[in-house]
Amino acid sequence: MLLKTLNFHRFKCGFAPVLRASRLFSNSPPSDVQQPSDESISGKQVKPERKSVVPSNSRFIYPEFLPDPKIEWRNSLREKLERMDMIQRRKHIDIPEFYVGSIMAVSSSNQHAPNKATRFVGICIQRLGCGLRANFTLRNVIKHVGTEMKYQLYDPTIQKIEVLRLEKRLDDELLYLRDAPNEYSTFDENMEVEYLPEGAPVPVNPEMVKLKPRPWRARWERKNMKGLADLGLEDRFYERAEELATPWEKYDLMKQYRKTIPEEEQKEIFAEVYSELHEVEVMRKKLKRKKVFIKPTKNV
Amino acid sequence: MNQAEVSQLVSKLRIRINPRHKNLKCPEGPQGRLNKLRKTVNALFKYERLELNYTLADETRGYAERLISEAIRHGDTHKPTMEMADYWIEEKQLIHKLFKVLVPRFNDYQTSYTMLYRAPKAYPEIVYPRSVLELRGNPFPAILPQRSDQRNFIHNVLLDEAKKAYRAEKYEEITKSLEEQRDE
Amino acid sequence: MSTIFAARQFSTSAVSNHIMKLTRLRVVDNSTIGKQAMAEGKPPRCIHVYNKKGIGTIGDKIMVAIKGEKVKAIIVGCVKEQKPNIPRFDSNNIVLIDDNGTPLGTRINVPIPIVLRTILKEKTFSKGADYTKLLAIASNYV
Repeated sequence: MLLKTLNFHRFKCGFAPVLRASRLFSNSPPSDVQQPSDESISGKQVKPERKSVVPSNSRFIYPEFLPDPKIEWRNSLREKLERMDMIQRRKHIDIPEFYVGSIMAVSSSNQHAPNKATRFVGICIQRLGCGLRANFTLRNVIKHVGTEMKYQLYDPTIQKIEVLRLEKRLDDELLYLRDAPNEYSTFDENMEVEYLPEGAPVPVNPEMVKLKPRPWRARWERKNMKGLADLGLEDRFYERAEELATPWEKYDLMKQYRKTIPEEEQKEIFAEVYSELHEVEVMRKKLKRKKVFIKPTKNV
Repeated sequence: MNQAEVSQLVSKLRIRINPRHKNLKCPEGPQGRLNKLRKTVNALFKYERLELNYTLADETRGYAERLISEAIRHGDTHKPTMEMADYWIEEKQLIHKLFKVLVPRFNDYQTSYTMLYRAPKAYPEIVYPRSVLELRGNPFPAILPQRSDQRNFIHNVLLDEAKKAYRAEKYEEITKSLEEQRDE
Repeated sequence: MSTIFAARQFSTSAVSNHIMKLTRLRVVDNSTIGKQAMAEGKPPRCIHVYNKKGIGTIGDKIMVAIKGEKVKAIIVGCVKEQKPNIPRFDSNNIVLIDDNGTPLGTRINVPIPIVLRTILKEKTFSKGADYTKLLAIASNYV
């Protein structure tokens, strides 16, 4: 081979990540790592030894703490500063756990309003952004007109965020409610808070939405939405959707990798913020108990 | 793209990732690109060392690393991982190699699973940069030559001296025993 | 032949939902002319936007063609994506006004963005048209 005779230079062997990774794994003793290699082939049995207090579902509850995965935009210092600001904000205002499909009420101060404050009730149809730019959109039908309001999660003008009904829907985005009949997104403004029992999993609402006839705001037959009932289109629409489908994308490993934050980095981030988030959470629970205690006195 | 996808967890790769993928000039579009990459991933698992164009090697490296890390993470009983291996590896006996040979080999690695070297171009026939992509721990002789200046490192000098002293001691013992035999 | 039409080769951009010339709008007050036009299924068209961009948004004055007449109107709600804390509606809502800024109807039946209060107050001058009368007939603010 030609190669042997000529000089090579080595590059991109990834020494820096190795060092960081070894520091991450350092809480498990090295003797433990070497032992199970004979008996277990898969790495799954090796890893659980590294136990941490951070719950595994943190990434669903606090998705905005994970930075934008776009590599050009990553900046560890900015991300860290943003996380500190987010925690500071969370200490002042209770930002509860919510998902797309939850019914929420947001009270915010508004300089244009006569009493300088407004309240909006609606179903969360979209949750976007990360860091201090995280935002969510609420939708409701008021006087037969569909109304949507976008809120920044860490906006200092927000006074209170309430989750009236905590639930998930079948899809990660409910933008198809814009093309659905009004009754699917109509919610009472004076809705009472529905409490879930302590420690219960978040229920998934399996409601199937029947859309109005075309024209729509998007070609929903091409989007593979799980929460849409039969669309009732002609065959040509489905044929075209099949032509344009990209079934190979689920095998594109690097595309998936570029869209996510790897587990090790997630652990680092949540280990950094979890203790303070947990404190905030405990305080919230205390306040909740107080609220429950006050209620009967009001009735009496 | 403004927020990370959280539906599935992945292990961190120990290689540098390019911010954007390379299209690899494929008339069949993205599907053809993946088919191209499948061939090289398959060949990498089969031969463990390949010489090919740098762009293709760099792209292939990420996919091979991801496939190995998924196999290490989930094992051979995990259905989606098996489906992924089935898609990426065309010669099905290599799936056995992935789970039975490569996973035990790379299980305790704290470094990347592959190596990428720049290779020389044969001017003027080849215009594109060439490279060598290999799996670590392969049976072939090392690509990088042993560096000569390492001989002068202090520990190597000390080791050499220790070796010499040990050998001298042994020789002395042998000569002594021979002399004793002769005397008898 | 059908395959040729199915796989068309020109690109199409996403709908931006701008309010510009020839956009169909929805009258939301109870003026006679507006009610009739909506009932006949002939909603008014925008024929001019009184700003320098030519694209109207909440609080902008436009001229509409309604039942063969030219009438001025104020936009009180857009389909277009809005900034945070400003509502977005499912229809492009307008309220018809005359030259002095007085609404033709006596009641608005849909929610009105609160930010319109400030916008219309800023647009009103002592000797010009008074747009704030529109705010008095609104029934609901978001």
